[in-house]
Amino acid sequence: MPISPNMLIVDDEVNVAFTLQMVFESEGYEVTVAHSCAQALKKLADGRNFDVVMTDLNMEKEDIGLDVARAAQRLKPKPVIVICTGYASVSNLGSALDLRVDYVATKPADLPELLGALRRLMALRTNARSTSPR
Amino acid sequence: MTESKARFANKMALVVHPDLEVLMSYQGTLAKNGISTVVARDLPTALLAMTQHYFEIAIVSSRISEQGDGWTLAGVLRRAFTSAFVAVLAPETNVPNLTSAINSGVAQLYRNDSPVPDVVASVLTAAAVPQDR
Repeated sequence: MPISPNMLIVDDEVNVAFTLQMVFESEGYEVTVAHSCAQALKKLADGRNFDVVMTDLNMEKEDIGLDVARAAQRLKPKPVIVICTGYASVSNLGSALDLRVDYVATKPADLPELLGALRRLMALRTNARSTSPR
Repeated sequence: MTESKARFANKMALVVHPDLEVLMSYQGTLAKNGISTVVARDLPTALLAMTQHYFEIAIVSSRISEQGDGWTLAGVLRRAFTSAFVAVLAPETNVPNLTSAINSGVAQLYRNDSPVPDVVASVLTAAAVPQDR
């Protein structure tokens, strides 16, 4: 796990994004916040590496958070991708599975469980990178 | 040799399901595609097989001995065989099962009642893509 992992939190509810930012900063993450899919796509395109991208699904449009996940999936190295939603459905989770999203948390998120899952997923990612052929 | 037989020659699959008939059906269908298959009806047998073989494909029932134990096994398989294609068979494609699939690192979820040849065909097509989750 990086010393200070970079995390992008995407949520159009300012209070939710702020609370998540406080939680993850207190856990040592360096957090960038976007309040829309459009803002998130700009931040993902500006060349900065993120270790974790956590996105809401319903923002400007229903399920538009999948576009954030899709853009994050194309980054190299690929970040851990988390969907945090209060509106999980067979349709959007089916798409998330096809997109190979790493984790789904249902709002209100169980924070200890989410933090534990992120630690595990980032450790696996770091391990995979360090053991992959050069 | 068909294209899929050539692609999967010398590859191994693990199928874990409590129903022997289902296991035999998967083993036969995978064999037709050139894949050697180890089957297990319980967790100890599955874990023993994992210590003895390297699996590129795993198809696991979401319920082996008790409700949900297949999800745990699927998660372990994903971590033990990082490039493996792991699929789970569940009674329904609903929100809880899709959540479990994503959070276990599973590549695909199929309904229990899906025809075995359809599941195998889908698995073989999807497994040809690198599993980089």
